[in-house]
Amino acid sequence: MPVLKGKELRVVGFLCNWCSYGGADTAGVGRFSQPTDLRIIRVPCSGRVDPMFVVKALLGGADGVLVSGCHPRDCHYSQGNFYARRRLETLKTFLPALGIDPDRFQYTWVSASEGQRWKNVVSTFVEKVHQLGHAPRIEEAAPYLPLAEKGDTLPAPLRPLAWPAAGTLTASLEQLREKIRAALPELDCVIGWQQGFDALHATPLFMRKPEDVDKLTWGPLNVHNLATYLPQFKNRKVGVVVKGCDSRSVIELLQEKLVEPDNVRVFGMACEGVVDVERVRKAMEPAEGAACTDVAPAAVAVEGDGLAFEGDTPVRLKLADVVAEKCRTCDTPVPLLGDVVEGNASAPAGPGPDAPPSLEALDAMTPEQRRGFWRAQMDRCLRCYACRNACPMCVCRDHCIAESRDPHWTTQEGNVREKLQFQVIHALHLAGRCTECGECQRACPVNIPVLALKQWMNRSVLTLFDYRAGVDVNAVPPLLAFAVEEKNIKEHGL
Amino acid sequence: MRIGVFVCHCGSNIGGTVDVPGVAQVARAYPDVVFSSDTMYACSEPGQAAIVDAIREHALDGVVVASCTPRMHEPTFRRTVERAGLNRYMFEMANIREHVSWIGKDREANSNKAAELVRMAVEKLRLNAPLYPKSFDVTKRVLVIGGGVAGIQAALDCADGGIEVVLVERESTIGGKMAKLDKTFPTVDCSSCILGPKMVDVSQHPNIRLYAHAEVEKIGGYVGNFKVDVRRKATYVDWELCTGCGLCMEKCPSKKSPDAFNEHVGVTTSINIPFPQAIPKKAIIDPTSCRQFVKGKCGVCAKVCPTGAIRYDMEDQVVTEEVGAIITATGYDLFDYTRYAEYGGGRYPDVITSLQYERLLSASGPTGGHVKRPSDGKEPKTVVFIQCVGSRDRSVDRPYCSGFCCMYTAKQAVLTKDHIPDSRSYVFYMDIRANGKMYEEFTRRAMEEYGVQYVRGRVSMIVPQGDKYLVRGVDTLLGEQVEVPADLVVLAVGAESSHGAPQLAEKLRISYDNYGFFMESHCKLRPVETNTAGVYLAGACQGPKDIPSSVGQGSAAAAKVLGLFSRGRLESDPQISQVDVRRCVGCGKCITTCPYGAIEWMELRGEMKARVIETVCQGCGICTVTCPQGAIQLQHFTDNQILAEVNALCLS
Ligand SMILES: Cc1cc2nc3c(=O)[nH]c(=O)nc-3n(C[C@H](O)[C@H](O)[C@H](O)COP(=O)(O)OP(=O)(O)OC[C@H]3O[C@@H](n4cnc5c(N)ncnc54)[C@H](O)[C@@H]3O)c2cc1C
Ligand code: SF4
Ligand code: SF4
Ligand code: SF4
Ligand code: SF4
Repeated sequence: MPVLKGKELRVVGFLCNWCSYGGADTAGVGRFSQPTDLRIIRVPCSGRVDPMFVVKALLGGADGVLVSGCHPRDCHYSQGNFYARRRLETLKTFLPALGIDPDRFQYTWVSASEGQRWKNVVSTFVEKVHQLGHAPRIEEAAPYLPLAEKGDTLPAPLRPLAWPAAGTLTASLEQLREKIRAALPELDCVIGWQQGFDALHATPLFMRKPEDVDKLTWGPLNVHNLATYLPQFKNRKVGVVVKGCDSRSVIELLQEKLVEPDNVRVFGMACEGVVDVERVRKAMEPAEGAACTDVAPAAVAVEGDGLAFEGDTPVRLKLADVVAEKCRTCDTPVPLLGDVVEGNASAPAGPGPDAPPSLEALDAMTPEQRRGFWRAQMDRCLRCYACRNACPMCVCRDHCIAESRDPHWTTQEGNVREKLQFQVIHALHLAGRCTECGECQRACPVNIPVLALKQWMNRSVLTLFDYRAGVDVNAVPPLLAFAVEEKNIKEHGL
Repeated sequence: MRIGVFVCHCGSNIGGTVDVPGVAQVARAYPDVVFSSDTMYACSEPGQAAIVDAIREHALDGVVVASCTPRMHEPTFRRTVERAGLNRYMFEMANIREHVSWIGKDREANSNKAAELVRMAVEKLRLNAPLYPKSFDVTKRVLVIGGGVAGIQAALDCADGGIEVVLVERESTIGGKMAKLDKTFPTVDCSSCILGPKMVDVSQHPNIRLYAHAEVEKIGGYVGNFKVDVRRKATYVDWELCTGCGLCMEKCPSKKSPDAFNEHVGVTTSINIPFPQAIPKKAIIDPTSCRQFVKGKCGVCAKVCPTGAIRYDMEDQVVTEEVGAIITATGYDLFDYTRYAEYGGGRYPDVITSLQYERLLSASGPTGGHVKRPSDGKEPKTVVFIQCVGSRDRSVDRPYCSGFCCMYTAKQAVLTKDHIPDSRSYVFYMDIRANGKMYEEFTRRAMEEYGVQYVRGRVSMIVPQGDKYLVRGVDTLLGEQVEVPADLVVLAVGAESSHGAPQLAEKLRISYDNYGFFMESHCKLRPVETNTAGVYLAGACQGPKDIPSSVGQGSAAAAKVLGLFSRGRLESDPQISQVDVRRCVGCGKCITTCPYGAIEWMELRGEMKARVIETVCQGCGICTVTCPQGAIQLQHFTDNQILAEVNALCLS
């Protein structure tokens, strides 16, 4: 709907019925004059305000969004505003990732008797929004694609990535196979990796018979996070082979009761980093960048800190150059649970960089650039949902709200707004759950760095709640809990 | 859908600054709107009749009224549409008075805003669905927690009203603070003379089951059908057999047990009946001092008890009670004045609390009603009272007024004169708050008839000097330093929430304020209700209160319970969450966050799914936001309904 041209901006409010809506009524009864911009949506409780409503409004053209509930401890439903505070603060710290000014979103507490305070809140907030002016629309931003031409300027890995000598590796692998063979009779199957359609690609292997176990491979080509398959085996006894990072996904799944502890056996081995196939492909391209992109080596051998490609023109690549982004900052090379073959994983050499590369790149952009960046990336997004399907925590699958009509969070329009809305849904749904396994980004057929949004979110969750997902099976994730006094959330002055 | 829109002028309240006919006109173009009109007073008799007529004439199946706040007239209009045969949830309101016409004078902006609010209401209504309440049976029994005067009153009123009462008291006797008082203001009548008969009534009433020395351990269920686990703590005496003869107390060799009933003025025996009028009048052993427990040998009481009631091996017992409503009357506790260094921090024996002083004044107290100094047993001639100790003081996080201290201090000063005619009393105060019936007259009498010296000002220090205490302060009215050599100093310690109140509130799922006092549902209009259906408040647990107010609230809470039980069956609010079992993956996140425990597991074809217990769900929607796939939706506030409002404002 059009706003009054020149006079008003679009400001949406979500108010809880018991306190703030009453406070706005009180302000009305007191005839406290207020700016006319605000449109109020009444909800029972601030705990009913899904942060996605806010995103929906902001992506849909709102210039400002205000949420108001009862003061902490005064919630009609006793705890709603405590949950709201965590959810909304998380959102507030996330908005800049999209290039949205966090000042366009505010949440506060106003009681039913505070008519004067309500007037002040509305006036202050609307004035702020007017200072900021019309919200720039992401779909109208000038495309900005710095990563597209990005050279291989990734930081050096934290640890000296080096796979054990072939002999040692085979011995460890044989140990692992033995463990699996021993357990197989009690399990429906064990999920591992095998060589894929060519020597560069591994694919998942579902071992049911002892002879299947012979096909199990182990090495830097085992890129998939096999934990993603576990929820499909719910209620069946199943084993899974994990790398260090994958093990965190299993922990997360166990914590969320998405798999049963009694039904899953975890096998693991220390990992020295897996390759980014895309990077390998690039490295193997003829120097002039000719059209030849089909890299189908006859065989790939792991040689300590490098990979040797046999074929017409044998190549040797340094692992440090082609290793996946996540491996550069990895601090859990050894699986955190399960039946693990220790190997000789090296420890991180020192503290990692402040942010992983994709996040660092996002950090370096101005808000305007970020809007342009996501606009350009979403232009390219096919909306194939490969990112979601690869995500071990996206267990909803057929019922993902990105595709449902009830609830109907996104339309099927193929525009930037709806596609970005989906990415935000994914990131918000992963808040406090994402272990940064990077599968979403790896799976994307057009290489959109969607992981950066989750990394941003994870950083927020870490700073706000001192929490990392996938470490402790018994932890309560921060967005399913609250503290009456929040250590790291400051009251926002309004 | 066929929607009718009614835009109200509210006389000139709305019409004055909003183009009401214009808004009605614009609304006609909104999707599914087949009828719209303006109306002078929508809520009036003819206004409502017009809505009913229009529903019939235009076969409307949904109605939007744009008028005042839904917090005022939503129930009214819901009844209106119901009269015309619509489901009451096929109705939405747009608040164009409190949120539009009353807060701005710009007619163009107001009219535009009003039209948009109507549009939002229409878009939401298009997704509304009829909802139907369910009815369920009520267990007509009530649990009263806390046996102070408020709880006693509530229990008696309910019992007299014919319903069964379960009264749970933490201490071994009921009576609360009032049982410790000597006389009560403003009439100075004897506390135990007016409370005693009520306590006896409790013990004898056929409808009351009393669990003393017991605490509520767990509360499950919902209004009409609560299930309560009560822990009966071990007393080491079989109360079925104990006759309260007191022989054990006479013979008990361990005579240095802390005397909680007498506020630790003096000590008592390890086996003890707290005071002669105790209800139940039963003995209880303090295992922290009893020789049988501490040293493993004694057994004197077991030998002397004529009925053989002593049970050293007794253990706690948990009993389960089913009730339909709960009254919480857990009262208050006293501020710990030792936090104030200027009053000696607890080191001066003759600086005592007001409640200790009540025990000294009381004939049933440790001194038999003779006022004696704890240090040397001498009769004090100069008594200084200091008010607002732990009240109205931000520095100790007690900014509130405890309400009754001004009055009881005046009472105690008057009683001091009665007990020791040649004594002098001084009261240091901040303000005198005597706003009850006959209260101002009473404090006046204390000053004028009894010659109590009132000094307006704070005490800065108490310094022991010889066998006296120099009380130093400023008289802010005269602007002078004052120094009174006192024999006894009585601190009017403020009230704070009963210890353990927040934990009990969590069990009851009711809110409490920053200080642990329970929150009423509305500070003016619903003072004894809480926001949890079926849970009511009485007495000082809701905030400091004197006896008349506590008793009044006790009766009010009882009336609420009787009113609730007067209906044969209760109806549940259908604005609650519902699980779409096809979407639910059984992660239990909703179960973790629901503040009411309203979601339970159920098994469906071998898979675990969430299910909402309709009568427990309060309709907050916290779960709806928690569930990633939107499988659990709060009815009437579903994602799609709220999205419709957002989209009406943004997208287009
Ligand atoms: C020194 C002094 C003098 C006073 N003089 C007067 C006066 O003269 N006139 C007057 O009107 N008022 C006077 N008052 C105020 C009076 O004490 C209160 O108004 C009154 O006691 C409030 O009654 P209540 O039942 O709400 O609380 P309480 O008397 O505190 O009773 C609460 C009861 O609940 C029990 N309980 C607490 N928690 C639990 C639990 N979790 N489970 C089970 N049971 C529990 C307690 O053991 C107690 O028995 C005086 C107060 C003081 C401190
Ligand atoms: S994005 Fe959200 S709704 Fe969709 S599959 Fe992932 S967690 Fe489920
Ligand atoms: S995988 Fe890539 S292209 Fe597909 S939906 Fe995700 S971001 Fe878009
Ligand atoms: S949060 Fe959603 S999916 Fe999980 S148990 Fe509840 S309703 Fe089911
Ligand atoms: S709406 Fe959900 S969270 Fe709120 S009381 Fe009902 S079931 Fe519990």
